[in-house]
Amino acid sequence: MKTEMARSRMERFSLAERVSHWLVAISFVYAGLSGTALWSKAMWWTAGVLGGGEMIRAWHPIAGVIFSLLLARLFWMWNRAMRLDAQDREWLKVGHKYAMHMEEGVPESGRFNAGQKSLFWLQSTSATLLFASGIVLWFPELMPRTLRLMAVLVHPIAALASLGGIIVHIYMSTLVVPGAFTAMTRGWVSPEWAKSHHPKWYRETSK
Amino acid sequence: MQTVAKLIDTTQCIGCKACEVACQEWNDQEFTLGTFNNSYQTMPDLAPNFWNLIKFNEAEQNGAQSWLMAKYQCMHCADAGCIKACPAPGAIIQRANGIVDFEHDACIGCGYCITGCPFDVPRLSSKTKKVYKCSLCSDRVAVGLEPACIKSCPTNCLSFGTRHDLKFLAEKRVSELKSDGFENAAIYDGPGVGGTNVLYVLKHGDKPEQYGLPKDPRIPWTVSLWKGPVKWLGNLVFFGGLFTALVHFLAIGPKEHKHED
Amino acid sequence: MTNGWTDVANADVVLVMGGNPAENHPVGFRFVMEARRKRKAKLVVVDPRFNRTAAVADSYTPMRSGTDIAFLGGIIHHALTNKLYHEEYVKLHTNAAFVVKEGFGFENGHFSGWDNTKGNYDRSSWQYETDASGYARIDPTLENPRCVFQLMKAHYARYTPEAVSNICGCTAEEFTKAADLICSSGKPDKTGTILYALGWTQHSHSVQLIHTAAMMQLLLGNIGRPGGGVNAQRGHANIQGSTDMGSWNNLPGYLKIPRANHATLDDYLKAYTPKPLRPNSLNYWGNTSKFMVSLLKAYYGRHASKENGFGYGNIPKAGETENYGWGHFFDNMQKGQLEGFISFGMNPVANGPNTPKMLDALSKLKWMVVVENFETETAAFWNARKLGEKFYPTYVEASNIQTEVLLLPAACFAEKDGAFVNSSRWLQWKKAALPPPGDAKVDQEIMARIFLKVRELYEKEGGTAPKPLLEMTWDYANPLSPSLEEVAREVNGRDVATNKQLNGFGELKDDGSTVCGNWIYSGSWTEAGNLMARRGQEDPTGLGLYPNWSWSWPANRRILYNRAGADSTGKGWDPQRTPLRWDGTRWIGDTPDYKADAKPEDMGAFIMLPEGVAKLFAADLVEGPFPEHYEPVESPVPNPLHPNVSHNPLAPIFHGPLDKLGEAKDYPYVAITYRLTEHFHYWTKHVASGSQLQTNFFVELPEALANEKGIKGGDLVRVRSARGMVEGPALVTKRIRPLRVAGKTVYQVGIPIHWGFVGRVRGPLVNNLTPSAYDPNAGTPEYKGFLVNVEKV
Repeated sequence: MKTEMARSRMERFSLAERVSHWLVAISFVYAGLSGTALWSKAMWWTAGVLGGGEMIRAWHPIAGVIFSLLLARLFWMWNRAMRLDAQDREWLKVGHKYAMHMEEGVPESGRFNAGQKSLFWLQSTSATLLFASGIVLWFPELMPRTLRLMAVLVHPIAALASLGGIIVHIYMSTLVVPGAFTAMTRGWVSPEWAKSHHPKWYRETSK
Repeated sequence: MQTVAKLIDTTQCIGCKACEVACQEWNDQEFTLGTFNNSYQTMPDLAPNFWNLIKFNEAEQNGAQSWLMAKYQCMHCADAGCIKACPAPGAIIQRANGIVDFEHDACIGCGYCITGCPFDVPRLSSKTKKVYKCSLCSDRVAVGLEPACIKSCPTNCLSFGTRHDLKFLAEKRVSELKSDGFENAAIYDGPGVGGTNVLYVLKHGDKPEQYGLPKDPRIPWTVSLWKGPVKWLGNLVFFGGLFTALVHFLAIGPKEHKHED
Repeated sequence: MTNGWTDVANADVVLVMGGNPAENHPVGFRFVMEARRKRKAKLVVVDPRFNRTAAVADSYTPMRSGTDIAFLGGIIHHALTNKLYHEEYVKLHTNAAFVVKEGFGFENGHFSGWDNTKGNYDRSSWQYETDASGYARIDPTLENPRCVFQLMKAHYARYTPEAVSNICGCTAEEFTKAADLICSSGKPDKTGTILYALGWTQHSHSVQLIHTAAMMQLLLGNIGRPGGGVNAQRGHANIQGSTDMGSWNNLPGYLKIPRANHATLDDYLKAYTPKPLRPNSLNYWGNTSKFMVSLLKAYYGRHASKENGFGYGNIPKAGETENYGWGHFFDNMQKGQLEGFISFGMNPVANGPNTPKMLDALSKLKWMVVVENFETETAAFWNARKLGEKFYPTYVEASNIQTEVLLLPAACFAEKDGAFVNSSRWLQWKKAALPPPGDAKVDQEIMARIFLKVRELYEKEGGTAPKPLLEMTWDYANPLSPSLEEVAREVNGRDVATNKQLNGFGELKDDGSTVCGNWIYSGSWTEAGNLMARRGQEDPTGLGLYPNWSWSWPANRRILYNRAGADSTGKGWDPQRTPLRWDGTRWIGDTPDYKADAKPEDMGAFIMLPEGVAKLFAADLVEGPFPEHYEPVESPVPNPLHPNVSHNPLAPIFHGPLDKLGEAKDYPYVAITYRLTEHFHYWTKHVASGSQLQTNFFVELPEALANEKGIKGGDLVRVRSARGMVEGPALVTKRIRPLRVAGKTVYQVGIPIHWGFVGRVRGPLVNNLTPSAYDPNAGTPEYKGFLVNVEKV
């Protein structure tokens, strides 16, 4: 019975990973919403939802720092696993086939496929940029003008890059790949799921 | 309503700092202590409680000693970089008379206006978390009074009136200076920002930097990019992303994993 | 000011020398700017520093502090040799034609009559040659070698551009350029004004310096004319009023102080009532008896009768040759000759020269009352050792000072009504803006309470001389705090019989039937009311005289000597700017400085002078009838003109233990003290705004000197004189140029006043450095042009 269970439920994400992921997600959502308010008058209504302009001015950078710290933790946990190898590079070349659910010619994935890895690096990079430019924007009175002038451009562009990635990420994990959401909430996947989406990982873990 | 303006005839400025005190007193700003920086100028820069600064610059013009003094404050640009950069609706407004005014109730203290300003004028208070700058005494102007700095100026270096009249006055003054042999005398009023409602008459109009004024003030290109193309890019990313997902979902749909059997 | 602030706008040339109006009189300076805008006037600045005024000037010439007489003497020479003076004016309105006695001369730095043992002049050879009736002889052709004109020409022949350059340190070309600009006002249709202040008055030869300026203006025909004059910019809101109302050397209205040898009123009047020196001289001071008797009536009221010389006996008499000027007063105090001292709105520790001496003097007192807005350095002098540790390391410990100090809080200017007399001689009545805070009282209440208490004690206990106090009139509605309206009415004067206010000093009598507190203010509060409170902005002459704005002494006259603004027929020199003209029956324009219905040829234009004309040659001053360049008491070079008589031979110099003088070998640099626009004296360091605008004491150093000493801007430097020391950051600037004087390079060091050991912001007292040397005529200390050394700390 026990082995049966173990076989039908594979641990995909540890509790620590899941907690980190969701805290990152929450802080991202907050920073994102408040950020769009700060970015465009068309989105100013979100400031109202979040308690007003002064509130978001105060908490957006704090949320940003929390996001960055938690992301740094995820980075620490995942960066080895996220390194792109030769197969991944092959994968990326035929990424469109993956998007079209074609399996032919798409290299098999390990724990993370090359798309996920790319997302990871995209988020890590943009978060670094967001953090650096965010500190500049947080204390404009202390920062040299040149830095501020760079930051006002870097911060939104990095945020957009991040947002673009996250749209794909959310869409994929909720609507495109059934079971992926459970993986990040409950932490497990079925062996079938693993075999199907991450065959290499399946093979390695069930050895 | 006519656009109002302030004229600063630097050839008549004696650096007495009366305008500095008048500004702080009228606007109820706390006095602090100055610093020493090998100059008569004790306030190094504008500050949240200090919106009007006279810059002192020693220079030599064709071998002759000169000591240039120029008042420095919000320029009330027609195309105001601060307004462009400000995210909070109603925090910075351009009044019908051209005054660029801060509404501190709406200000969230992000400080984007400081970066947006080509003249580097607004200042963020770490105490109140709001940004401050010269309001051209919009409260006084609204009831028909001249701004406090103008009122305090002993030499008539400062004048207040409609922009149209002051431009005329400034042109007259410049032609006087030219006839006195100052060929480079010029009006400084920031055409790059659609014209400023603070006009300067400079004896050495070819070198505004000597007075501590930027040579060709414009809204910084990064700010223009940020508030223009980058915004369109943002819309593209957001809406484009959603649209692509929708089409993908409808056309291709979820990925089913293979069953063993 | 002979003219007034608003009149400066009428000038074609504005010479700013010994002053820095953009810095210290920015509000009045607007009229300079107006002259430049409206008349294209040239602003000429001559100053040791390229200052705030120079920053907006048309011409700037550097000079060494204390050499102004050489510079102006050079201009006199320039005007005479190049015929740039206004000849007709000089002949008509000055004593150029007066013939001086044989025996007058000048040699090796001394005028004739020098007594080496007394250190004084016998002035008999400086007098005019007189005819049988006692009138001075004149030579209208100006050719007599002993006439003033020729003597003057000879005296200033030494003041060539090269000599000026050698003394003052500017180049001869720079001097000539400035001289040409200044002398361009010598044409009849041009006028030039002079604005000066403490840069001229704070020397050991300051009165002679003003005399030189007056001579220059007379030669250029600029006295009595709109846009002309010799204009002293007064430094305090009411310092003109305080001078007018009498200080140590005069009674109100410039009546002279009685001396011990003037036992009776008749003696006094005989000594001080001048006789006319020309048949056509009105000699207005001939009325001295009327002014004096009316003043005595104001002092002693019913106790003043013809029989007792109107109470003249009550007035304290100064010793025959006694001097009570600042220097002597504090010297006496230091010697322990004074028991008590009331310092009323005065801060001698800060603003007296040689602070260590001031501190020492105050410590010898038994008691001192300080009436002030703040606790000043004077009120806190006993704590100087602790508060100014660095600067007074050897001063007495507080515990060893026996002086009892009483600090009485006084109302400040905005808390009092009354009149301010400004530089323009306008008596401007003002209202109190708010009541004094806390226990602070208005000045007159403090004075009245002290007076009444002392009088009460005299009444009860008697004393050496109770009469002057007991007989003093004090019939105010509230004796404890007389209203200033009552006092102002009394100052204007009234007719005793009718009790009506007088219309002016013309109505004064010397028989005791009129009362007048100050004859020159008579007319300020007539039956028509308080004319000082007027704010009429009418300008009928178009010259900015504003006759209905406040009230100007004397007689609401806006331009002094305005009769000299017209020629021998009574026509203005410049038809565009005529302050006064004769229409055949009377004078039209400003209040005439002349008899209102006297024909132009009837009398001389200068009605106050016995000559009836202005004095190019003035035997009244103690060190010579012509101004001569004397070096400051401490000078980097011996006088290039006469090295053996280097500084003013009459300058009072003290020789007490703290009155040291330095020499150029130990103290090679010339120091000047000055004020900053951001501060008012030693007051605004107690105020938030002033403390922000100029927070730190500093020392202005020429860049070349700083380079020589390896000093950078902001480095801490120590400045020492033979008296004391100051310390502060260096402000290194090109605005103070090194000068070439008598073959060597001379550096000048600028030190602003305003700091002290109490207040919101603190710093050294600049008077730690200044010498105990004074002008012999006015008693002003030599705050400018003394020697120091500079070192990097």
